[in-house]
Amino acid sequence: MEALSDEILMQKVAEGNLDVLKVLFDRHHKHVYNFLYKMSGDSMLSEDLTQDIFYKLIKYRSSYNNGSFVSWLFTIARNSLKSHFTRNHKYHDGLDVLEYKSDGDEGVEDYSQLQQALNQLDPEDRELIILNRFKEIRYEELAEIMGSTPGAMKTKVCRILKKLKKIYLESL
Amino acid sequence: MKNNHISDLIPAYLDGILDENTLKKVEEHLSQCPNCQKELEEMKTLFKAFDDDVPRVPTDRLRNKFEEALHAEKENLGKVVPLAPKKKSNWATNLLKVAASIALLVASFQMGSLFQQKKVDGDITALKDETLQMKQTAMLSLMENQSASKRIQGVNYIEEFEHPDEAIIQALANRLLHDENDNVRLTAFEALSKFSASDTVKSVFIKALGKEKNPSIQIGIIEMLVQIQEKKAIAPMKKLLEQEDTQPFIKEQIKAVLPKIT
Repeated sequence: MEALSDEILMQKVAEGNLDVLKVLFDRHHKHVYNFLYKMSGDSMLSEDLTQDIFYKLIKYRSSYNNGSFVSWLFTIARNSLKSHFTRNHKYHDGLDVLEYKSDGDEGVEDYSQLQQALNQLDPEDRELIILNRFKEIRYEELAEIMGSTPGAMKTKVCRILKKLKKIYLESL
Repeated sequence: MKNNHISDLIPAYLDGILDENTLKKVEEHLSQCPNCQKELEEMKTLFKAFDDDVPRVPTDRLRNKFEEALHAEKENLGKVVPLAPKKKSNWATNLLKVAASIALLVASFQMGSLFQQKKVDGDITALKDETLQMKQTAMLSLMENQSASKRIQGVNYIEEFEHPDEAIIQALANRLLHDENDNVRLTAFEALSKFSASDTVKSVFIKALGKEKNPSIQIGIIEMLVQIQEKKAIAPMKKLLEQEDTQPFIKEQIKAVLPKIT
């Protein structure tokens, strides 16, 4: 069971074997949570949204179209985040001028600087980098999530990385 | 490649996803270009920051809630999904349905009672026939009994028959003509007098008039014969007048009634 691909496991879930979803939850919930946390900077909200996203996975399991599971999962995640901010009228306020809330712990200095650099990117750019770097989502999957082509994604990510590198190095 | 910097390929180079051909060219360029070397080092620093990033761990609440939701969904899955409720039919069709069922009920009840009635009627007729048959047998056998009272009882059974058949009439006639007991003969006479319209009964009466010695029966027969204006009775009556053993009051009776038979 553990050796099977996400796609085969999700296929089983779609066929009604709900217990298999636990394996997928174990594999992916931390990535989803961290993606949301890095995008929103709100740990409670990120937990709630992660919970909500996996709940949607249960509900809409039969609509799984046999494509890349990770693409599907993060498409749902992006939509959940977006609709949350739209619903709360703070999409722009929330994401554009999001300031990383340092919790003051020692040893997270680098993390904090990287996050601060990330926060200075456009939300769309930040999203791409978070997905591509932290989860190491391949360009093919990224293209699927964003509705683009792998080549265009590669170019775009490269451009943003250069921008981010500049911001990051300046902050050091 | 000399003036063609490879900075755009550096992320892919660091990720190790370049194909062999491109990788060779990138390495070749890097060895000669300080700018790109600098770019590479900077990008390495950024990538190290990503690698050093410690992912946050969500609390147990998240897993608990997920498993709760999964459990609830599994229970839902096991539940019997009720069929969609039937579309409400309007009251008119309902009323028609009710009317139809009542009509059906009444019709079947009527049919049932009709068949039942026919059957009962048939049964009763059969029973009646059977009873009459039994009574006739009983009557005939009683009339043959040695005891005079039993014979009277048998004769009295005539009242049960509205239309006695020839066998019964014949049996009664035998009692009237041949029974040794006066009372039996009297009862037989009374029974037969109800059927005086019958020719058989008339001839029996005439015959009995010639034979009968009991005065009360003689008077009864005479009165009956006069009543039915039986002309054939005149001859036996005149014969009685001539007989010496005939009671005087019988003779007077005959004299009185003879003129009435015209």
